[in-house]
Parts: sequence; C-alpha cells; structure tokens
Amino acid sequence: MDHQSAAELFSSFVDGDLGATEKSDLEHHLAICIQCRTELEEFRRAVGGLGRLKHAAPDSFLPQIQEQIFLRSRGRFFGRRWKLFGRIPFEWVSLAMIIAMLVYYILHLRGAPTGVQPVP
Amino acid sequence: MEATLGLRRRVQVGRARFGRRAPFEMSVAERLLISRLKERDEQAFNEVVRSHGDKVFSLVYRMIGNRAEAEDLAQEVFVTVFKTVDSFRGESKFSTWLLRIAANHCKNRIKYLSRRRTDGGGLDDMPEDKMADAGRAPLQAHIDAPDVLLEAAELEGLMQEAIETLDEEHRLLVVLRDVEELSYEEIGEVSGLPEGTIKSRLHRARMTIKEYLARRTR
Repeated sequence: MDHQSAAELFSSFVDGDLGATEKSDLEHHLAICIQCRTELEEFRRAVGGLGRLKHAAPDSFLPQIQEQIFLRSRGRFFGRRWKLFGRIPFEWVSLAMIIAMLVYYILHLRGAPTGVQPVP
Repeated sequence: MEATLGLRRRVQVGRARFGRRAPFEMSVAERLLISRLKERDEQAFNEVVRSHGDKVFSLVYRMIGNRAEAEDLAQEVFVTVFKTVDSFRGESKFSTWLLRIAANHCKNRIKYLSRRRTDGGGLDDMPEDKMADAGRAPLQAHIDAPDVLLEAAELEGLMQEAIETLDEEHRLLVVLRDVEELSYEEIGEVSGLPEGTIKSRLHRARMTIKEYLARRTR
C-alpha cells in the first residue's frame, strides 16, 4: 500500500466503515509509515475539531420567529394576547360575568323598596 | 401498455441505482405533531422550534459563517416550515425534511452573498470579521504561539475558516456529518445524494480541511 491509497481510506477508517481486509492492510501500512501516521493524526484532529462546532440558537430565537410570522400573516398568527384573558377560556369569563350580574340583580334590585309611597 | 411497462422498468432501475430506502414509518407522536402543525397550531409550532431550533441554527451558522446572517436565515427556515408544512408528505423524518429546507436556504444565501461580494467588491460589502484577514494569504499566514491554538475560540475560528474554503455542496456534507453528526442515510435524505457520492465528497472535504489547518498551524 502506498501513501496515496492509504490516505484514500482515512475517512472510512475514522468512521469505522472499513472492511476487515482493508483495515488490516491500512494498519499494517501505518505501522511502518510515519508520514501516514502523522497525516492520519492530523485528519483525526480536523474531524474531531468539527464535532465541537455545534452552536445553540440564541434565547430570542423563538420570539423573533413568532414576530416574523405575526407580521407576515398580518396578525393572523402569533398575535399578542391579554395576559389574563389569553389564558382563561372566553366561555368561562362570560359565564362568570352572567353569574355576577344575576347575584347583583337578586341582592340589590329585586328585594329593594320601589320608593313610591301609596297615597293615603 | 408497452410504454407504461418500459417507464415502470426505468423507474425501478433508477430506484435500485440510487438505493431507494424503505418507506419511512412516522411515530404516532410525530404524526400528531405534524397534523397539529398543518392546522397552524401555534403551540405545536413552538414545540418544533424548541426541539429543532438549535440544530437548524447550528447548521445555518456553520454554513454561512456569520452570526447575524445565520440568525436571519434560521428564522426564515422556520417561517418557511410554518408556511409549507402542508407539502410535508411524511416520506422522510420531519427533522430531515426541515434540514433539507435549511440546506436549500443556505445554498441560496451563499450564492447570493458571493454574488453580492463579487458585484460590490468594495470594503463596505465585506463583513467586519473578514476585514482583519483581507490582506493575508492563507499560505503566508501562520500562528506563532502554539499555546494560543489551544484556546477554543481560536480553534473554532480556524475551523470555521476551513469550512468556508469549501464550496456549498462539500460544506453541507461536512457540517451534516461532522458537526451535526447525522447518519449517512439521513444525509442522503437531506442532500438527495447516493451514499457512495456522499462518502467520496465527504472524504475530499475532510482532506481539504485537514490541509488548510495544517498550513495555518505549521
């Protein structure tokens, strides 16, 4: 095996994809060739370095996307909601208001005197 | 009839040649999420951004090499997903479909940016982080102190420069495989390339990066 054909196998070797024969041929060559050993070491370092390049999205990522969709959909999606009513379903709010009005009516209006005195 | 049979045979040969994969089976949870997305459920969309945002941003950032551009483009990817999710037919994993959209956006942006640089040619068009490097040829440049190389930021900058020496096709393969750690099958779904082509191009790309790093650190 020469340097060129050894270098051709570096990727598969690093990925663990080499067949048994090719792997043993390459290992045999590496045992006697310092140049290829150095090259393989540099190759491994390069591939390993790439693995450390992951980058997390910024914290503002989701709100910015929502803003983009809000603007482009002309407010159809991701519209701003009131803090309270955005979370409580509208039906519950309406029901609570109806009950409150009924209680007010019963306590204050129904039992109260009319204020008109009968003429003696 | 003859023509139909011939066409069918050609399709079968084509599928065999390009190693068509077995049909993909989506999980129930994923199917539910997709159907909610198709109904434009905002919570479902938020879940998608939270679970795939880092991967998409990382891919775009490494492809483009500029943080501001990457933020803008990664947002654009998710806006496209929101708009076009109806076209997702479930033939591949949702994550690979999403990365395919990201990859296409990246390729278009790289072409656009390189055109803009060629057309403009002035210093005003060049990003500030590139200006520092403008007058230095990579072969002449070297870093004197080896201990500086150990610093993560320096090394990251060098690796990013090395990635940017590749054309967009090779760049995509390196980023998908070595940065995002996707399997060859997933890379095939994202790039539309057969496995053999991916492996040979990836090897060439890795060798280019290795040589660039060796030149810069020698």
